[in-house]
Amino acid sequence: MGLGRFLARRVATFIPTIIGVLFITYLIAYAIPADPVRAWVGEKLMNREALEEIRAKYKFDAPWYEQFAFLVTSLLTGNLEDPIQHRNIFDELFYRFPITVEVAIMGFIFTAIIGIPLGFIAALKKDSIVDFFVRIFALVGSSLPAFVLYYFLILFLFTYMHTTVLAGMPFPSQTCIASISSLPSKIPVIGHIVSAIGSVPMFGAMMCGEWGVVADTFRRLYLPGLALGLLDGGLIARIVRNSLLDSLSQEYIQYAKARGLRKRRIWMHALKNASIPVVTVLGTLFGGLLSGAIVAETVFNIPGLGRYIYNAITRLNFPAIIGGTFLVAIVYVTVNLIVDIIYAVLDPRIRY
Amino acid sequence: MEAIYKLLVKIIDSYASLRDKINKGWKEKNSSRIREWKLMSYAFSKSKIGVLGGILVFIEVVLAIVGPIIAWEPYWVYPVINNPDLKLLPPCIPPWCTGGPLLGTDEWGRDLLSITLVGVRISFIISILVVLFGAPLGIILGLVAGYKGGVIDEIIMRLTDIFMAFPALVLAIAFAAVLPERLRLLLESNTMLRDFLAALLGLRVNEYPQIASLLAVWIAMILVWWPGYARIVRGSVLSAKEQTFVEAAKVLGLSTRRILFKHILPNIISPIIVMMTFDIATAALFAATLSFLGLGPQEPVPELGFIISKAGNWFPHRSYHIVTFVGIVLLIIALGWNLLGDALRDILDPRTRRAIEFTEGGEKK
Repeated sequence: MGLGRFLARRVATFIPTIIGVLFITYLIAYAIPADPVRAWVGEKLMNREALEEIRAKYKFDAPWYEQFAFLVTSLLTGNLEDPIQHRNIFDELFYRFPITVEVAIMGFIFTAIIGIPLGFIAALKKDSIVDFFVRIFALVGSSLPAFVLYYFLILFLFTYMHTTVLAGMPFPSQTCIASISSLPSKIPVIGHIVSAIGSVPMFGAMMCGEWGVVADTFRRLYLPGLALGLLDGGLIARIVRNSLLDSLSQEYIQYAKARGLRKRRIWMHALKNASIPVVTVLGTLFGGLLSGAIVAETVFNIPGLGRYIYNAITRLNFPAIIGGTFLVAIVYVTVNLIVDIIYAVLDPRIRY
Repeated sequence: MEAIYKLLVKIIDSYASLRDKINKGWKEKNSSRIREWKLMSYAFSKSKIGVLGGILVFIEVVLAIVGPIIAWEPYWVYPVINNPDLKLLPPCIPPWCTGGPLLGTDEWGRDLLSITLVGVRISFIISILVVLFGAPLGIILGLVAGYKGGVIDEIIMRLTDIFMAFPALVLAIAFAAVLPERLRLLLESNTMLRDFLAALLGLRVNEYPQIASLLAVWIAMILVWWPGYARIVRGSVLSAKEQTFVEAAKVLGLSTRRILFKHILPNIISPIIVMMTFDIATAALFAATLSFLGLGPQEPVPELGFIISKAGNWFPHRSYHIVTFVGIVLLIIALGWNLLGDALRDILDPRTRRAIEFTEGGEKK
């Protein structure tokens, strides 16, 4: 199978997967035995008319396929409303998603700068004390309950050393946000992309040159990033170590050495092949972080996507559940698709 | 290390002679298999991390079995009601302090050590049962998908894709949030199931609404767990079914079920067993995370994640001991299984096992 056909097949499975995700979410939402409408209305407005009005609005009395069609069409046309906040679902989601992107980027950066150098050292000094340390680090990182680590990081770096803040989220100034959101009307295609990137507060502030906000963002979010890095860094280090050792022992490296190639050339060959599993794991990790690190967002009090979905689930707010999982699934599947494409490009042997 | 090897050999020998008694001639027929098992136990006894992991797991199993029996304080009684001073007592370690509970108390004045023993049983049962039910489900679906191919394969793999398109925690939270209501009704009507689960988890029968939410966590995790196995098993079946021994079995006219379970499965099972071992650790942490988020059982059931989430309200000054101790307990539980899995990966792979046998002073019988 050529690269083109492989990609076409992967993209073709994308849409059925998303529809399936929506359907399962819908099933979960409707499996709730309690009457969600009562929970939405609240005690103050609890009267027959209000209940009937909301029931009619969300088509509660219609058969299931009509309900599902109603939810999906209003989601795709952007008309679905959060019944508790009374705002459009997409307003809620696109307020929170950029914050989750920031957290994911922080976690990703810390994981990479902890994991990759450690893995390199462990591979170069195999069976040394560093190698042993990396093995223990990876094992403890995957055995430690995340929330306990979060608590202790908060204890040391927030309570005792005051190096971070745990409330509020830094945003660029209003004029900056306004100028970024007016970009699409000025420049046709690139404007859309730039304003999408700029909607992440950190990047928006960078574009406007508001470096104070960038510094604040780092101060606010470095702790969750560090925590995620400590948990996953060991795993990444192990994978970097193993794949590097694996590719250094391959025959083509022996051949390159025998031919007397320069060290730099040999390393380039080894690194390209060693990067394949690392890219996959880092990509999947990033996809997971983008869909909301729920525990981290809860403990560090970050108003991100994961917290929103979690709150929606516990409050039976199922239009929000459907909207949230829709976005999360699209992000997750897209990141996995990109990882697969990178994988296929890096390693021409892989086609499935 | 030598003692562990001897113990394992003794266990294998007695198992073999037991099988031989039931089924005459089993020992001779399977002598190569028995020798393989002995080689494995030799490699295991040589692996330091494997032995350490095995010991930690053994401690966990023992504590899980006897924990709720030896727990000296009933977890459902709140001493703080009669004696408010008992709330969140700090640890009291003998040389410096006497009379108080060894590891302090929680917010209801219960002895922390005692309720943790109850929590270890819950954590153990949930993590084991998730893997024991989730993995076979995934394995069977993967076997069928890989072997049959065509439309069945396509349907199963699309279903797998859909389940894997959710982040595991989101999907599990959703299931764990909506299931308890239904399960509570089930437990209300089915008293036998209720009594059985209460005895299994070491809880009181009165706690059946909490047992229902534990059951919900369990089901939610199984639904999250199977796709990983299905995908991996399908991949290995695809490569195994091209091999000659499968062709030979087909030519002999064996049934599909026999080919799948007797010929293909034993050849691809080793990585699956390793994965299951790692997954028990992950499942224990996952269950703790769910109840940390408030989706598992509520008061008074001392689930480990729930104890930490309650203690978080007083962290750090009044509850540092709770977070530290229960955190270490969870760490040890997960670490044991992870170490064991790490060692099993080397032992179950014949190539790396031979390396252990030959570098560590020659082959043994």
